[in-house]
Amino acid sequence: MIDFHTHPVLIREFVEKYPGYERMAREVFKIGNNFQPLETFFLQMDVAGVDKAVLLPVACARAQKMDISSNEQVAELCAKSPRFIGFASVDPLSKTAVRELEDAASGLGLRGLKLDPALQQFRPDDEKVFPVYEAAENLDLPVVIHTGMSWAPASALEEAHPLVLEKVIRRFAKLNFVLAHWGWPWVWEATALALKYDNCYLDTSCLYYDGPEEFFHFVFSKQIPTTVIERSLRNKVVFGSNYPRVEIKNMVAALKSLKLTEGCLEKIFRTNAERLLGRQAAGEGGRR
Amino acid sequence: MIIKLEKIRVQTRKSEELINITDEVERIVTSAGVQNGLVNVMTTHTSSGLLVTEGIPCLEEDILTHLARLFPENEDYHHRRYLDYDGRLGFNAPSHLKSVVGGISCSFPIENGKVVRGSRQTIYFVEYDGPLERTYMVQVLGT
Repeated sequence: MIDFHTHPVLIREFVEKYPGYERMAREVFKIGNNFQPLETFFLQMDVAGVDKAVLLPVACARAQKMDISSNEQVAELCAKSPRFIGFASVDPLSKTAVRELEDAASGLGLRGLKLDPALQQFRPDDEKVFPVYEAAENLDLPVVIHTGMSWAPASALEEAHPLVLEKVIRRFAKLNFVLAHWGWPWVWEATALALKYDNCYLDTSCLYYDGPEEFFHFVFSKQIPTTVIERSLRNKVVFGSNYPRVEIKNMVAALKSLKLTEGCLEKIFRTNAERLLGRQAAGEGGRR
Repeated sequence: MIIKLEKIRVQTRKSEELINITDEVERIVTSAGVQNGLVNVMTTHTSSGLLVTEGIPCLEEDILTHLARLFPENEDYHHRRYLDYDGRLGFNAPSHLKSVVGGISCSFPIENGKVVRGSRQTIYFVEYDGPLERTYMVQVLGT
């Protein structure tokens, strides 16, 4: 299984090594849990049955005075274990953004791009941002882009509405976008985008009240019918936990508790992510 | 009068498990040099525990099994809400409740430099919400 949405913000080894890391976790990302040795991250993956985890930074230093992890930190973790798949983040309004992304891909070996328009304070449909999308497309990097609610204090909900992305998704039709958090609370809007556009995917990392199973059962059977996932979006959804805001094992259990077939779960837990990351699963055809 | 406090880190490896810490507690008592007194052991967390029972696997299993029966995962817990001080949801009420019922501390007398405990009494650190790196405290008091 692959977890497509984790944040390396509670790594204790980084607290002493990188000044500001603790403040980033507490004030910008906003999480109060104890810092843990890197070993705990792997053990959390183990008990969840997850083989690999995508590590997501956010380059929000212009807007929030510090990044949520850096590309170099992500690459450092990836060098420690093949179980980590590192994504890069760049400030799309920076003049050096394209070069930074190219360096992150070719020099650091990072395999995707993470953007969070609300936290990074840019409009995703601003044409000034387009060179970054073009670079990601040329580098064949999928883009995980924050949509919907975030617990980060500086992230405004209205700036994370999934429909803001439609223009970009249409324009960059060869670039794969993964709408993080399924756009919650705008799950129908996010669902509609994934239904309509071949290059639009969704991740499951949404949990905003109640427990994971309760939340999933409401969102994925009452807000939208489970059959939409099973029948129409089985090739367009990737599993994401949003660890460490939630333990991976709880999100795995929540997803498994939905009435999805084993075949559908296999796609969500593994093969869709592999395809996005450029590892076409044997026998998989196109996106649908 | 000697008062010595040690904080011991333990890496738990499962969601729930009992870890025998008896030897570690006795080592700390011996190193403290207290001949007669008391040793207190306490977890520093609210979703883990400290308990004393007979040190056999069947009981270890029964403890976790029946605490799980008392506090099932999918019950109606008020704790399932956003915790602003943590920046995340609190959905581990069963772990907290197991800690409350199972206990978080134990104490034993020290006599002639040794922990006085029943022959079957084993001291366990109990993980209810792992895997995590945890800390428990051992305080030795005496002369």
